[in-house]
Amino acid sequence: MSSELVRNFCIIAHIDHGKSTLADRLIQKCGAVADREFRDQILDSMDIERERGITIKSNSVSLLYNAKDGKQYQLNLIDTPGHVDFSHEVRRSLMSCDGALILVDASQGVEAQTLANLYVAMEYNLTLLPVINKIDLPAADIDRIREEIDSDLGLDPFEAVPVSAKLGTGIDELLEAIVAKLPPPSGDQETPLKALIFDAQYDSYRGVVVLVRVKDGRIAPGQHIRLMHTDKEYEVEEVGLLQLKRVKTKELVAGTVGYVIANIKAIRDIAMGDTITDAERPASEPLPGYKEAKPVVFSSMYPISTDDYEDLAKALEKLALNDPAITYEKDSSSALGFGFRCGFLGLLHLDVVQERLEREYGLSLLLSAPSVRYRVTLETGEVLLVDNPSLYPDPSRISKAEEPFIKASIMMPERYLGPIMDLCRERRGEKSLFHYLAQGRVELTAELPLAEVLFDFYDRLKTLTQGYGSFDYELLDYRETKIAKVDILVNGEKVDALSQLVHEDKARTRAMHYCEKLAETIPRQQFRIAIQGAIGAKIIARTTINPFRKDVTAKCYGGDITRKRKLLEKQKEGKKRMKMVGAVEIPQAAFIAVLKSDES
Amino acid sequence: MSPEAGLYVHVPFCRALCPYCDFAVNVASEKRRSRYAELLLTEIALCWGGKFDTLYFGGGTPSLLPAPTLARIGEELSSRGWLSPDCRVFVEANPEDVNEDALVGFREARVSTLSLGIQSLDPESLLFFGRRHTRDEAARAVALAREAGFDTVSIDLIYGIPGETEARLRKDLEDAVALSPDHLSCYQLTVHENTVFGRHTRAGRLEEVSDEGQGSFFRLTHEVLESAGYEAYEVSNFARAPEHRSRHNQKYWRHQPYLGLGPSAHSFDGRARSWNERSFFAWERRLLEGKVPTAGKEELDDRDLLLETLMLRLRTREGVDLEEIATRFGVDLVESNRILIERSLEDGLLTRQGSFLRPTLDGLAVADGLARSFVLSPHQWQTARS
Repeated sequence: MSSELVRNFCIIAHIDHGKSTLADRLIQKCGAVADREFRDQILDSMDIERERGITIKSNSVSLLYNAKDGKQYQLNLIDTPGHVDFSHEVRRSLMSCDGALILVDASQGVEAQTLANLYVAMEYNLTLLPVINKIDLPAADIDRIREEIDSDLGLDPFEAVPVSAKLGTGIDELLEAIVAKLPPPSGDQETPLKALIFDAQYDSYRGVVVLVRVKDGRIAPGQHIRLMHTDKEYEVEEVGLLQLKRVKTKELVAGTVGYVIANIKAIRDIAMGDTITDAERPASEPLPGYKEAKPVVFSSMYPISTDDYEDLAKALEKLALNDPAITYEKDSSSALGFGFRCGFLGLLHLDVVQERLEREYGLSLLLSAPSVRYRVTLETGEVLLVDNPSLYPDPSRISKAEEPFIKASIMMPERYLGPIMDLCRERRGEKSLFHYLAQGRVELTAELPLAEVLFDFYDRLKTLTQGYGSFDYELLDYRETKIAKVDILVNGEKVDALSQLVHEDKARTRAMHYCEKLAETIPRQQFRIAIQGAIGAKIIARTTINPFRKDVTAKCYGGDITRKRKLLEKQKEGKKRMKMVGAVEIPQAAFIAVLKSDES
Repeated sequence: MSPEAGLYVHVPFCRALCPYCDFAVNVASEKRRSRYAELLLTEIALCWGGKFDTLYFGGGTPSLLPAPTLARIGEELSSRGWLSPDCRVFVEANPEDVNEDALVGFREARVSTLSLGIQSLDPESLLFFGRRHTRDEAARAVALAREAGFDTVSIDLIYGIPGETEARLRKDLEDAVALSPDHLSCYQLTVHENTVFGRHTRAGRLEEVSDEGQGSFFRLTHEVLESAGYEAYEVSNFARAPEHRSRHNQKYWRHQPYLGLGPSAHSFDGRARSWNERSFFAWERRLLEGKVPTAGKEELDDRDLLLETLMLRLRTREGVDLEEIATRFGVDLVESNRILIERSLEDGLLTRQGSFLRPTLDGLAVADGLARSFVLSPHQWQTARS
C-alpha cells in the first residue's frame, strides 16, 4: 500500500469525553470486527479499564476504510490513555502519529487534559482535527463549543466535525475528514531503518510484542536490528499489523504502524521511545523524544497475610512485564512484615496497580502513605534521594531538603475560582495565575508541591467545583523545603509503617489526624492505649483509648466452659489479622482506615 | 477418674421460668418430676462412675424435689461406692421452698451447703426479676438455714440491672451481709438471647448497663463485700473463710474432672468434654432406650486445654501457676508473652507471687480480655493444626 493511502492518528480527549466509544464506532464502521464479536470499549482490554472507563495501556488498531474517492485507506488508530499519570504513554503515542482528533464534549467543553495533550501534539507537529462529541445530549451546546475551540484551542471551529459516538451520528463525515484533512506519513523507505517504539505488549508465548512506527526505511523478518538507546541487538521473527488481532505481513515500511516480534524476553529489556535501526546499516542518530518514565509517587506494599509475600513478589514481577513504569524493591516493616517499596507515575497509577494485584492475583494488600521523592543534601555535601521515611537521615545531618514541585493547570467555570485559589493556597501553592477562556471559563495555573497533590487534592477539586473542574500537571523542579519525619507511637512503640515525611507546617495536623483515626479503629483493650505523633523525641499529637472497665463473664461453670472457650477462640482468630505493637493489638482495619483516609 | 472428681446433678424443673435464665429448665408436671428420679437412677446405672468428693444438685430448682428423693439418689451413689467419706453435698434452693421440714430433710440427705437463690433484697429488683419471694421471706429463709446447722449457707445475688444505682446496689449488698451468709455468689446480670430479657433488649425495651456502669458495679460489689470480711476467690464468688469456698465449683476453674447427670449436664475427664441431651424429652427417650444420654463430645488438644486453663484460672484470685503450665504443656508462657505480662504487672492487672500470676481486682474485671491476649503458640502447635 502506498504511504499516500495511510493515515496514522490518535484521539486526544479528556477523561469521560467518549474517546473509547468513538474508537468503537470507527472500528465498527470499517468492519474490522463482526457485530456479534463486538463489545464496548473494545480497545480497553483490561477489566479495570472498562469498569473505570479509563484507558491505561494504549492499544492500537489498523482499519481499512473505503473512502468516497473510491480508494481504500489504511487508518492506523493509536489509542492513548486519558489520565495525567499516564502522560508518558500519551507522548509516545503522539510521537507515532501524523495527526490527531481533538475530542471535545459538547456540553463539558475544553478541559485541562485536552489542552495539555494538545500542546504536546503541537510539539510533535501533528495536524489537528477537532471533533465535537455527544451532540445528542440535551445539554449539548455546539455553538459555545465552537467558540471554545477557537479561543481555547486556537483551532478552526468550522473544521470541527460534530458527532455522537454513542448513536453513530456523523461517523461517515468524520472518516471522510480523516482522509481529507490528516496528512499521509512522510518518510523515506530507502534510507536506513528508523522505527520508534511507542508501546509493547507481553505475550507469554512470543515474548515482547513491540509496537512501532516506522519513520524511515523498512523492517522485515530475518533482519538484524539494534535498539539505539539500550544498545541491544535482536533478530526479527515476525512483523505485521494490529487489526485487533495480529496480522502477519512481509514487512513494515516507512509510514506504517505495526508490530515487531524479535525474541525479546521482557518489557524491561526495551525502552519506550527508543529507536530501532538496522544492525548492519544503522541510522546515524536516533529519533528525538526518548524520555524515561520516572516514578514520582512511592509507597510500600505489604500483603495483609504475611504468608502471601512470595505471591506478591511473583505478581509484581509479572505485572512489571507489562507495565515497566512500576519500580519495586524489597522493604520491610516491623509492624507489617516483608513487602515492597514501589514507585508509581502518580496516584491513579498506584491505585490501578493495587487493584490489578488484588483482582488479577487475588492478593490483599496494605499500602503505606504515598510519598514523593525528596532530595536531601547532607552536611557532608552528599546528596540523597529519599522517598522512604525509614531511610530519612537524622535531621542534624541535613543541610538542605528539597521537594518536587509541579505546575498545575486547572480549568473550571469562573464561579469556582475563589474556592480553588484557596485550595491552592492551603496546599502551599505559589505563583497562582489565572486567565479567562471562552464564556465564563477560567484556567488557573499554580506551582504546587507534588506532595500536597498526593493527598486527596483531586477529590477536593472535584468536590469544590461540583465535578466541573479539571486538572493536569507537569513536573517542574525541586525546591527547598522544611520536612519533618512524623512517627506514630502506640504505647511508646513506633509503628514504622505509619511514619511519613511531611512539610513542617502540616506535621501537627497530619499527626493528629492519624492519632484520631487510630483511636477510632483500634478496639479497646484491657490496657490504656496511648497514641502519639512525634517528630524525633518531641510529641506533637496525642490521643488515648481508655481500657475496658469490665471484660469478664459473670458465670463460668461446667457447661459454660466449652462455649466460652470457643468464643475466646473466635476472638483470638480475629486477632490473627492484628499486628502486635507492644502489647497492643492493631487490627488491619486500623491501618487501612488510617492509610486510606485523607486529612479533611 | 481421679479421686477429687465432682458429681453434678441437674434438676431441670422450676415453678416458673425467670426472665433472665437460659438454663435447661422447664415447668414440669408432678408426674414428670416423679419420673425424673427413676430416670436419674437409670443414668447412674449406665454411666462409668468414679470416685467423687462433691455432689452438687443444681438447676433448675432442686428444692422442688422432695428431700427424700435427694436422699435416695445420694444413697444409690453411696452404695455404688462413688462418694468418698468426706464428700460434700450441695443443694440449690429457692427461699420459698425453705421451711423447717425441708431443712430437716436436707440435713438427713447429708447436705452440707445450701445455696439460696435470693437474687436481691431490694423489692424493686425482685419485681424486675419476677421472683416469687419477698425480701422478708428471703431473710427468713437465710436465718432458718443458718439455724439448721449446714456447714455453709450461701446466697446468690444478681446486680447490674437497668436503672440500678450505686446507692441501691450498696444497700442491697449491705442488707445481704447483714444476714451473715458464709458465702455469696454475686452475678452481674447477663442478658441471654433466648430469654424474656433477651427479647426485651432486642425490642429496645431493656437497655443493658454500659461498660462504665458495669465496671463501677463490679468494683463496688467487691469493695463492699471485701470490707465486710468476704474474700473474692473468683470473679463472682465470695467466702467468709477458705473452708466456705465452693469445693465443687472450684473444680471447674481448676480443670478437675467432673461427671454431669441429668439433662444438659456436662462432663469432663481431663481431656474430653461431653454433654447430655438438653431437653428432658430427648434425655428421657435415650435412657428409656437403655442408652447413655450423651448428645455431644469434644476432645481437647493441648492448645484448647491451655486456653481454658488461662481463661478459668484468671477468673480466680489464686491465678495461673506458670510452673504447672510448664510441666503440663511444656510451654514457657512468660517467654512468649513477655510484653503482655510486663504491661499487666505495670498496670496493676496482675501480680507475681512465686510461680503464680495472680489477677488483682482490676485484673479480675478484665479476665476474659487477658485470657484472649495471651499468645499460646509454641510455633509448632499452630503449624501442626493448620
